[in-house]
Amino acid sequence: MSNLPEFITIQNVQKYISNRMVLDIDELVVYQSECVVVHGPNGSGKSTLLKILAGLMTPDSGVATTNGVVRPWRQAIREFRANAVYLHQTPYLFDRSVEDNIAYGLRFRNRSQSVLFSEVQSAMEWAGLSHLAKRNARDLSGGEKQRVALTRARILEPKLLLLDEPTAAMDRKSRKQTFSLIRDLASGGNAVYIATHEAADLYQPDRVIQLDYGKLVV
Amino acid sequence: MDGLIGASAEALRLLFTGDREIWEIVAISFSVSFRAILYIVPLAILSAFALAYGNFPGRRVLITIVNALVALPAVVVGLLLYMLLSSSGPFGGWRLLFTQGAMIIGQMILAFPLLVAMIHVSLQGVDLSAWQTARTLGASIFRAMFTIMREVRFGLIAAIVAGFGRVVSEVGCSIMVGGNILHHTRNIPTAIALETSKGEFEQGIALGAVLITLALALNFAVATVRGRDMARH
Repeated sequence: MSNLPEFITIQNVQKYISNRMVLDIDELVVYQSECVVVHGPNGSGKSTLLKILAGLMTPDSGVATTNGVVRPWRQAIREFRANAVYLHQTPYLFDRSVEDNIAYGLRFRNRSQSVLFSEVQSAMEWAGLSHLAKRNARDLSGGEKQRVALTRARILEPKLLLLDEPTAAMDRKSRKQTFSLIRDLASGGNAVYIATHEAADLYQPDRVIQLDYGKLVV
Repeated sequence: MDGLIGASAEALRLLFTGDREIWEIVAISFSVSFRAILYIVPLAILSAFALAYGNFPGRRVLITIVNALVALPAVVVGLLLYMLLSSSGPFGGWRLLFTQGAMIIGQMILAFPLLVAMIHVSLQGVDLSAWQTARTLGASIFRAMFTIMREVRFGLIAAIVAGFGRVVSEVGCSIMVGGNILHHTRNIPTAIALETSKGEFEQGIALGAVLITLALALNFAVATVRGRDMARH
């Protein structure tokens, strides 16, 4: 139990892929503003859990409660999508400049061009990406791409940020920079879920949950 | 040989002196095929997206059927459409037979599987994470589609060019449902077929030259745009 207010609760969630059960969760409560590390071996259902919380995947069964209201999944998915941003292990950056990538999600919100520009500039400064603003995002290194993806998510100020193996296959310097950005994000008031093989301490989480064969074991 | 050279010279004269009949046939051809592609591209894009990202039973069977229909003979489409649109057919009341409208419908049917198959292949070249990224960043389904279309823009352009090439040069369907009526439904392929059957090659060669020039120009334009983009990265 946490003292933080509940944001999302999922219960009796099951997900099958190719007739194999990949997720079977009795109950998981996502609290507002908490940082959670999701541990588990490959194939334990970490990505599936994060994608369900992002509204990118629909479970085969289960109940979702958001802000204290039990909702049908179709409606819950809309809530999840409106509040959560999911980052893939290998982030997909669109074939356009770094600043255009970062501005992508903001364009769907009502922002004047000047406000949008200034938000993008300050987000790039936060991530140390200002010198790469005009570069095509596809030409960046792995670490730089992850920073662009984090910045692109952060600028939307999601209530729940879901990071799937954010530092996998990174060199030491990039990992250090990425850890620093994630810790900064986690202290910013939004809930952050990080699926990782790394030692949980690196993220200074509020709690750690363990998945094994799709089941929560902690 | 002399006959071929003479016919070619006469063909060039017809083209460059602005022979009204020739250029009217060219205009009908382009107008019909352009409208057919314009009308069918949105449906083809939606279908390709459904096949690429949709999760519904029978999806793989549909992909196989679409791929098989790429080689659909134009004359078969013409025959079926003729039966549907003739006065004894179920849509005879529409009075579309031997009109440009019938030719457009026929060309839409012909282009559809090719467009869907080519766009679907392009979409398969983009990771599913592209779609999920667009959606998780707040894009609606249609916005996400436009984003992905931009990602596969060269594949999309290539598909449209190929689709246009397929319909602008088909003769079987146009001649059956269009009727090859001068000033109305006579397009480049049907005119070439007619003139050749009469043994008058000049107009056929001139129109064939227009088709070949068009094919070269379209492919050159696609290659140039693609080359510029590759050089940029």
